[in-house]
Amino acid sequence: MDYFIYKLKKSPLAIIGIVVLVLWIIVAILGPSLTSFTHTAIDSEHQMVGVGQAGHLLGTDAMGRDILSRIIYGSRSILTVALMTSFFSTIIGVILGFSAGYFGGKFDYGFLRVMDILMAIPPLVLAMVVLGILGDSSILSLTLIVSIAYIPATARVSRGVMLSERNKEYVDAAKIRGENNFYIMFVEILPNTTGPIIVEGTARFAYSIMMVASLGFLGVGLQPPTPDWGMMVIENKAIISQAPWAVLFPALAIASLVIAISIFSDFVSKVLIHE
Amino acid sequence: MSKILDIQNLNVYYNTFDGKFSAVSDVSFSLEKSESLGIIGESGCGKSTTAFSVMRYLAPNAEVEGVINFNGDNLLEKSEAEITKIRGNRIAMVFQNPSTSLNPSLTIGAQLDEVSIIHQHLDKKAARKASIEALDLMNIGDAKGTVKRYPHQISGGIKQRICIAMAILCKPDIMILDEPTTALDVTTEAIILDSIKDLKEKLDMSLIYISHDMGVINKVSDQIAVMYNGEIVEKGPKEKIFNFPTHPYTRALINCMPRGGVVKENAKLNTIRGFVKRRGAAQKGCPYQDRCDMKNDTCLEKYGIRNIDEDHITACDRAYATDVENDIVKKLKPHAKVKKVKDVEEVNPETILEIKDLYKIYGNKRKVYAVNGVEVAVDSGTVLGIVGESGCGKSTTGNMVAGLHNPTSGNIIFNGIEISGGWKNRSPEVLKDLQLIFQNPGRSLNPSHTVEQIIGRPMQRLLGIDSKSERRETIIKILRKVDLGKEYLLKKPRQLSGGEQQRIAIARALSISPKLIVCDEPTSALDVSVQASVLNLLNTLQKDTDITYLFISHDLNVINYLSDNIMVMYAGRICEYGQRDEIMNNTSHPYTQALLSAVPEVDPTKQKKTIHLEGDLPDPSVLSKGCPFASRCHKKLGKICEEEFPPKVSISDTHYYYCHIHD
Repeated sequence: MDYFIYKLKKSPLAIIGIVVLVLWIIVAILGPSLTSFTHTAIDSEHQMVGVGQAGHLLGTDAMGRDILSRIIYGSRSILTVALMTSFFSTIIGVILGFSAGYFGGKFDYGFLRVMDILMAIPPLVLAMVVLGILGDSSILSLTLIVSIAYIPATARVSRGVMLSERNKEYVDAAKIRGENNFYIMFVEILPNTTGPIIVEGTARFAYSIMMVASLGFLGVGLQPPTPDWGMMVIENKAIISQAPWAVLFPALAIASLVIAISIFSDFVSKVLIHE
Repeated sequence: MSKILDIQNLNVYYNTFDGKFSAVSDVSFSLEKSESLGIIGESGCGKSTTAFSVMRYLAPNAEVEGVINFNGDNLLEKSEAEITKIRGNRIAMVFQNPSTSLNPSLTIGAQLDEVSIIHQHLDKKAARKASIEALDLMNIGDAKGTVKRYPHQISGGIKQRICIAMAILCKPDIMILDEPTTALDVTTEAIILDSIKDLKEKLDMSLIYISHDMGVINKVSDQIAVMYNGEIVEKGPKEKIFNFPTHPYTRALINCMPRGGVVKENAKLNTIRGFVKRRGAAQKGCPYQDRCDMKNDTCLEKYGIRNIDEDHITACDRAYATDVENDIVKKLKPHAKVKKVKDVEEVNPETILEIKDLYKIYGNKRKVYAVNGVEVAVDSGTVLGIVGESGCGKSTTGNMVAGLHNPTSGNIIFNGIEISGGWKNRSPEVLKDLQLIFQNPGRSLNPSHTVEQIIGRPMQRLLGIDSKSERRETIIKILRKVDLGKEYLLKKPRQLSGGEQQRIAIARALSISPKLIVCDEPTSALDVSVQASVLNLLNTLQKDTDITYLFISHDLNVINYLSDNIMVMYAGRICEYGQRDEIMNNTSHPYTQALLSAVPEVDPTKQKKTIHLEGDLPDPSVLSKGCPFASRCHKKLGKICEEEFPPKVSISDTHYYYCHIHD
C-alpha cells in the first residue's frame, strides 16, 4: 500500500485517472439524488435546449429529456454490467486457463483450439448475434454474453502465467508431499499470480465498457427505458446539427470512463508486476 | 609505477522506495599499471556497484560522489560522449553470465568485429583479423570457425572466453571482471583463470577481479581489497591478507570455507553469525559490528583505518591492538573440535536406498541420455555425496529418487519398497520418509505463504496433525533446531535472507522426521559464511537424528566435508565411487583427478598444478560406446578408450572406478 502511494506520487496521469474513475463510481452510487429530473421525464416545453438552459445543465434531447440525468442513470447500468463482466470473465478465465496450463497435454491442446475458435469471432459480432437471437437484453443477459466473449482473453493470460509458475520449485515441493492438483493450483500458485490477473481484470473492465456502449450504439444493448450511453449517441445522431450536446456528452462520458480505467489499469500493472 | 586508476572517497547511494540507502561508502583505492586487484566480499557488499561506478554503468536512481581518476582524468565529470570513448576501449568489463552478455542473434564474429570498428575505426577485414587474434590469445581452438557461429552453438566456458576476448580487443588499460567464473564449472574455471593470468602478462593490463571466492581471488590477484557493506575493511598485498588477516571479517571469511582436510568428524566449520544487512545511509560505526565476535564499545562510534604497514591497511583498531601472533595461531587452527562420535558399536548398517541400473532418457525424437546405468546403495545414517560438473546427471538422479522424474528404466528401492514410479505412485509413508531440499530456497518456498504455513503444511498433510496449536508448537521446536526463533512464524520468504530461507527449507524437510533427505546443491546459492552455517546445521542434524543424506554438489570441498561416501559422475555415468578418504587419498579416475586439481586453493603458499580439461562435454544425444570421458581425458590411452567401455576396477570392497588404466 505504501508502495502504491509512492508510485502514485510519481505519476500524475494515474492520479487523474483514479480521480475520474472514483467520480464516476460516486455518481453511479448516488445516482438519482444528484439530479432534479428523472431519466424518463419529458420536458415537452424544452426540447433540444442548449447547455444550462431551463435548469437542464447539459441540455435536453429531441424529446426534451434531460441529458445529465440520463447520463447519470446510464452510468449505473454500464458500471454494473462492466464490473460484473470483468469479475466473471476473470474467474472463469482463471479456472479454465489454470487447468489448461497446469495439466498441459491433450487438455491444453483442446483448450487452445476452442479458444482459437472463440477468438476468431470478433467479440462484438458474437455478442450481437447471441443478443439478437435472445431478442432480450437485460443487465443479466448482457453480462453473461460479454463475459463469454472475454473469457478467451483472460483464460489465455492465466494459462501463460500458470506456465511460467508451474515449473517453479515450490510447486515441485508441493507435489512430492502429495498435494492434490486443486490445492497446488489454487492454494500454492494462485496467490503468486494475482498481479497479472488483477491487471488483466482491470483491462477487461475498460473493454467491457466499450463493448456495452458499442452494443447500445448498435441497438442490441440495454433496451429502453433503461438509459444507455451508446444508445443515447445513436438516438441523438439525427439531431446532431441542431443539438450537438445531446451526442457529445454521452460520448464524452464513455471516453472519459474508458480512458480513466485504462490509465488506472496501466498504473496497477506498473505497481503489481514490477514490484 | 604509475597509478592508472585512483578512486578517492567514492560514495554511491540508491534512491529507492524505502528511501535513500548507501551502497558504497567512502571507498578509496588505487590501481597501478599491470597490477591486479581482487575485490572480495559476500553478496550485497557493494563490490559490483564499485566496479559499475568506474564504468559509469549505474542505474538511473544512483547518486555518485567522489573522485574516480583514470590516467589523471576524473571519470565522474566526463560527458556521456566522452565516457563512451573510454568504456569498452580503455576500460573493459566482463560480466558474470556469458550467455546473457552475448547477443543471441548475431554471430560471434559480428559481435567481436563491432568493438574494433567502433573504437578503433578499423575496416571490416582488419576488424575480423583482430577478432581472430584475440580469440587465439584466449586459446580458443578453432578461432576461424568460432567467429561464424552463434552463441547458442558454443558452451558456457568458451562463451566466457569469447567475452574476455571481446574485452581485450582494444588492448584496454584496465579490465574489470565481475565474477566471471561463478556460473561455470570448476574445470572450466581453472582454464579461464589461467588464461586471465597469461593475458595480464602478455598485454600488460591492470585487472580488477571481483569474486566471493577466496580461492579464485588467490589465483589471479596481487592486491586484495575486502569489502563489507559498502566499505573496504581491509586492503593489502595478497600474501599479507592471507597470512596475516587482521580484520575480523577477513579472518572469518578465510576460516569459514571448507577446505581440504576439514571433514565433519573432526571439525565444525567456522561461521559468521547473522547476514549482510542492507545499510541505511545514517548508520554509524563499524559496518561489521553486528556480526563481529570481538565487538566492543568503540565499534559503535568510529573505526580507525590503521596502517599495519605501508601497504596493508585495515578498518579495525582492535585487530591491530591485539597480539597479532596470537591471531595467526587462531587462524591456523580455526575449527572447533567436534567430540569423537561413538564408533564402537559398529553394527552392520542396513541399506536404506538402493539404486539399480538407473536410466533416464529425455525426449522422444532427439534423445538426451541424462543418466546411464547408475548403480549405488546407501546405508542408513550415512551421507552419499554425488559430485560432478553441470550436466553430469547428478541432479536428475536426485530428482528421480525424490520422485519428481520417472526413470526410463531401472529400480529405486527405498526401505525395501520399489519407488521408481514417481511421486504420484508413492504411499504417504514414503512421501513422508523421503524429502528433498532444493538448490534455491527463494524458488522452493512459496513466496506468498508464511513460514508457519510452509513448515506446517507437510505436517498437516503427511502426519495428519490437524490442530493448529499443536502444529505451531512443533514448528517452534523445529525452528529452534535450525537456529531460528518463533518471531519467524509469520514472516514470508521475501523478508528473509538467503541463509534464513534455506534454514526454513531444511525445517520444512525435517518437520515430518524423514529418513532420507535428498539435498540438491543446498548451499550453492548461498554466501560462504552462510554456507558454512548451513553445512554445520546439516551435519549436526544428521548426527542427532541419524538421518541419511543424498548430498548433491558441484563443490568438492563441500562434498569432502560432509560425505561418508562419494560418487563422482560424468555424462550420466559413475566414474568413481568410494569412501571419502579412499577417493581423496587414492584418486584413481582421471576425471576425479582433474576435478580435484581444479579446485582453487585458499592458501597462497600452496601451489598445485591444475589439469586442464579442454573440450566440451560429450554430446548427450549420443550414447557413446566407449568411455564417456575419452574426449577430454588427459591420460587417454588411444582407440580403446573411444571404442570399448572401460571395465570396473575395484580397489577395495568399497572403492571402484571405471577406466582402462589399471594395474
